[in-house]
Amino acid sequence: MKLRLNKTVAAVAASALLLMAVPAIGIASTSGAAGKPTYVIGYEGPLSGGNLQLGLNMVFAVELAINQANATGKLPFKLQVAKYDDQGDPTISPTQAQSAVANKKLIAVVGPAFSGATAAAEPYYSAAHVATVSPSATRVTLASSKWGNFFRVVADDGVQGPADADYLVKTKGFKSVYVVDDGSAYGAGLATAFAAQAKTDGATVTTATVPGTAQCSNGTGSATQYTAAATQAKASGAKSLFYGGYYCDLGLFLGALSSAGYTGTVMSGDGSDSPALIKATTPASAAEGVLLSCACATSTNSKFNKAFLALANFPAPTATYAGEAYDATNVIIAAMKSLKKVTRAGVVAALHKITYKGTTKTIKFQKDGNISGSAIYVNQVKSGIVVQLGLE
Amino acid sequence: MGAFGHYLLAHAVTLKHEFWQLFVGGVANGLLYGMIAVGYTLVYGVLRLINFAHSEIFMTGGFAGYFVLRAFVGSGAPPAGLASIGLIFIGILAGGTAGAVMATVLERVAYRPLRRRNAPKLAYLISAIGASYFLFNLAGKEFGHLPVSTPQPYINHTVFHVFGAPVQMFFVIIFIVGLIMFVGLDRLISKSRLGRGIRAVAQDAETASLMGVNIDRTIAITFIVGGALGGAAGFLFAMGYGVVYTMGFVPALKAFTAAVLGGIGNLRGAMIGGLILGIFESLSVVVVQAAYIDVVAFGILVLVLLVRPTGILGERLGRAA
Repeated sequence: MKLRLNKTVAAVAASALLLMAVPAIGIASTSGAAGKPTYVIGYEGPLSGGNLQLGLNMVFAVELAINQANATGKLPFKLQVAKYDDQGDPTISPTQAQSAVANKKLIAVVGPAFSGATAAAEPYYSAAHVATVSPSATRVTLASSKWGNFFRVVADDGVQGPADADYLVKTKGFKSVYVVDDGSAYGAGLATAFAAQAKTDGATVTTATVPGTAQCSNGTGSATQYTAAATQAKASGAKSLFYGGYYCDLGLFLGALSSAGYTGTVMSGDGSDSPALIKATTPASAAEGVLLSCACATSTNSKFNKAFLALANFPAPTATYAGEAYDATNVIIAAMKSLKKVTRAGVVAALHKITYKGTTKTIKFQKDGNISGSAIYVNQVKSGIVVQLGLE
Repeated sequence: MGAFGHYLLAHAVTLKHEFWQLFVGGVANGLLYGMIAVGYTLVYGVLRLINFAHSEIFMTGGFAGYFVLRAFVGSGAPPAGLASIGLIFIGILAGGTAGAVMATVLERVAYRPLRRRNAPKLAYLISAIGASYFLFNLAGKEFGHLPVSTPQPYINHTVFHVFGAPVQMFFVIIFIVGLIMFVGLDRLISKSRLGRGIRAVAQDAETASLMGVNIDRTIAITFIVGGALGGAAGFLFAMGYGVVYTMGFVPALKAFTAAVLGGIGNLRGAMIGGLILGIFESLSVVVVQAAYIDVVAFGILVLVLLVRPTGILGERLGRAA
């Protein structure tokens, strides 16, 4: 009896396997018949967690670029997007990077979005010769790590930090600054660059580290820590405060600062440059007047804005780094077009040589992957909206 | 020695300037931790179980309070005067009720079936962790992953000064609510019949049932009481710091630490442990960077347990007060 059962089980299992194989064979033959090969452009960034807005801004832009490219019908291939959610976390990023690299059809990646995640993931991308064009990873040391496949379409914090310091100390005239960073690769890097330049400009600088909170998916801190941190800031007597970090934690900090009675001017970098900052601040009035810098421009290209709004359901001018992500995708597509045979290593080589006119700027990369030439913009929160003031 | 003395002096001067403001902030945080810690300690007292899902009870209270405030205040200007008091009261009621309901559901679904089967303690632990993961991920799916700030039911202003340190409305609310809850709970446990029942079950469940105490009902009410306080704390936290699906994790961890610090199973210990933890965390910012606050907090826990393993007030399971 048992023997017969085993044979039955074996027969069922074998036929099940055959049945599973048939659809796969079927699909292979139909794609062969279609003609154009399909390539995947990946996006790695925070698609969940406390900083997900920044990720959404970019991933919609990537999708838009790919949809538009496919719609022209003139490309010798079809494109798809693959999304890899690293939550902006350098401990999750390597897994996502390996996942991306294992995808045989993946040619290049837009991202990773966050500096810490980029530093953790690049070794995997580099080993597989997958080009990564980041719209937003601004940590200076990313370009000096000699990966060869790393590119970014924005100026790094080596430019943003000092430009912010010059703006706050020289242009706005603040002689004392309290510099806080959130302990992340990006925040600490930006704050250090800022503090060094502020000291050179002659301001009194006090530094502090207040780790990102667990509820913002930025670290292990607690929201209750900001009460003490805000008291410290107020007690320092500094007339201005610079925060190196992301909008979720800055929102909590701003609430604590207003509770502690801090009346100075607050400034932060591109990680906080988003309308989501106002939503994350309790009460929202505590975010009024906050200055936000960004190497990214507020998009004024109406065609792009219209198309982005239709796809994402929120306006492009509020979407920090959407324009840069759009350009990053298009420069990858342009590099792929220039090749006779599209391979990962081929795209890396092509990106090193390419000059592409994007919506935000003309893109040409330096040898180390940094963008050639750039400028920093400053924005301010006015009546609950982020308004661009101009160039720093 | 000279350099170290200089260091201490510099910090002593800073401490003097900021002491009261840090102290006030620390007491407010401490009361929040205490309110959550009470939930842990009561449940441990009657069931010898660490209810790891208590962080989600806290979160549920927070979200309930958020939705209530969004319904009443919306995006309009924050109200003032009696309307504020009324809204805060409604919010606490909403948070507390939601917390109590969630605690009851947890007790029925995650723990009672295990009690029926005389499951080993480990099974309760796994069930608690599983429930916690399920609940906060469910919240993330339902409410999204973006943090949102809560509409304010009052205008935050300085109410009075304590030795020069401004005390904000938010802190005053926490002080009043915390005080009422702690005093009320203490009286409930030590003076009322229900309290005697809880203490009896905590001391010896079998004998208590022989004496006529309904075990199931007592345990259910213990969960409700702990859940109500945790939920109310969630509402207060939401008012000051906004809501997000992961908001329960760190405050509950701190509260659990506070409960152990004061003596797990000991009600007054939970309250005092919370206050001590909050105050020391806040004051430690003078000596170490804000990044090391947690190091100080857990360092204190380790030191206390080394000297007094049962916690500051001792593990008096039989007398939950």
